[in-house]
Amino acid sequence: MIGTFVLWEAACWGFGIREFVLPAPSAIWTATVSVWPTVLNHTLSTLTTVLLGFVASVVVSLPLAMLIAASPVISAAVYPLLVVTQSIPKVALAPILLVALGANELPRVIVTFLVAFFPLVVATVAGLLATPPELIELGRACRAGRVQELLRIRLPFAVPFVFGGLKVAAALSVVGAVVAEFVGADAGLGYLIQTSMAFFRSPLAFGAVVILALLGILLFQAVSLAERVFFPWSSGAQSGAPPVA
Amino acid sequence: MIRILHVGKTFRGRDGSAVEALRDVSLDVAEGEFVAIVGASGCGKSTLLRLVAGLVPASTGEVALHGEAVTGPREDTAMVFQAPTLLPWADVLRNVTFPLRLMHRAGPGTEDRARALLATAGLAGFEGKLPSELSGGMQQRVAICRALLQEPRVLLMDEPFGALDALTREEMSLELLRLWSARRMAVLFVTHSIPEAVLLADRVVVVSPRPGRVADVVEVSLPRPRSFDQEGSDEFQRCARRIRAHIFGERRAVA
Repeated sequence: MIGTFVLWEAACWGFGIREFVLPAPSAIWTATVSVWPTVLNHTLSTLTTVLLGFVASVVVSLPLAMLIAASPVISAAVYPLLVVTQSIPKVALAPILLVALGANELPRVIVTFLVAFFPLVVATVAGLLATPPELIELGRACRAGRVQELLRIRLPFAVPFVFGGLKVAAALSVVGAVVAEFVGADAGLGYLIQTSMAFFRSPLAFGAVVILALLGILLFQAVSLAERVFFPWSSGAQSGAPPVA
Repeated sequence: MIRILHVGKTFRGRDGSAVEALRDVSLDVAEGEFVAIVGASGCGKSTLLRLVAGLVPASTGEVALHGEAVTGPREDTAMVFQAPTLLPWADVLRNVTFPLRLMHRAGPGTEDRARALLATAGLAGFEGKLPSELSGGMQQRVAICRALLQEPRVLLMDEPFGALDALTREEMSLELLRLWSARRMAVLFVTHSIPEAVLLADRVVVVSPRPGRVADVVEVSLPRPRSFDQEGSDEFQRCARRIRAHIFGERRAVA
């Protein structure tokens, strides 16, 4: 990591690359720090969108996945719709949502949600359906109903899968927020990148990109930490396979 | 106690063809009796157990417990599977109490009873461990404790020691006998090990394959408590020989 930055810095100086083409790390640092209150504001704005979109995708995905796993009929009805939402490029959808819902936080959160929720639904459904038949039979032998089976056996079993989906969703919600900000926003790191590049202020735009990457890493790590703290058995056995003698 | 009367079970295969797993099986098990079911793989002995458990319905005939027809899983039957089938997310104590909690039968004393039971099974101090931290034999011990905690009147065991190594297996058989003799519920024990069946059971039911039928019922009149020393006794050898003759005689007749 450090080696890359050193090489990057050296290449910029050595080959005399012009700043708006590829700014050196030192130039990015100076440009970003010199306007840090503005950068901080933009970061907070993006972070708000990311978190709201992420939370929305969790709140929607888990019940939706349970419905899909519980009934083949619902699965057959809902899955094509989900695939449709995933086939439409969110960049194309963003301006439409912006016009329909107005220039506020809501369309940005919706775009973020749309980008992030799909892998979470797919992962959760996979986990719910991957529950070994022996555990299901144990539940039946203990007279568990369908709801009990879903909540007490399938859902806990799916936890490692859910966290797999959450990690993807965390990274993707950063992408979603920036896509939304590119189309219509007056704040946020995506907006900062666009306005900076319009004035060939590459170093600041690069600074924003670095911060975005850091946001992604931070969110990903937060999810991993939550998994380790609240579900220690899950992070240990990523496969989620039950121990067989 | 358990009455299995002219029971047959036919499964419909994936391609629509019918597979007859059991035909005209009749068997009575008395209160507190230990009955082993022995047969070659795929002879339908597990199906028979699942019928008694109420997990699958019989195609013909009737299964009854205390004179009541079995229509679904009952509270007074408990099952031990071949794999421990423990919940990977729950510690040993919560695994053992899981069925009672699921059936809303857990009371204030449940946890203490679970601890005491685990202690008699040699698992004291492991209450807070996760299944993945235990050996295969210990996991199966937890599964047996889980079944016993339900205080079943009928304990159904589907090759419970099948996945264990030979040494653990012998140790576990004696331990099962010890736990059972303190409680004395009716046990249906499916196995494909003839010595295991003879060592454990009051009666051994030999099931012949395709479709599964009762080929013979062998009374084992060895005194209890049983031990591996009895393996050399004439009675043990007589029972084992008779069971073996049925299983391999059957195979020769088919071949």
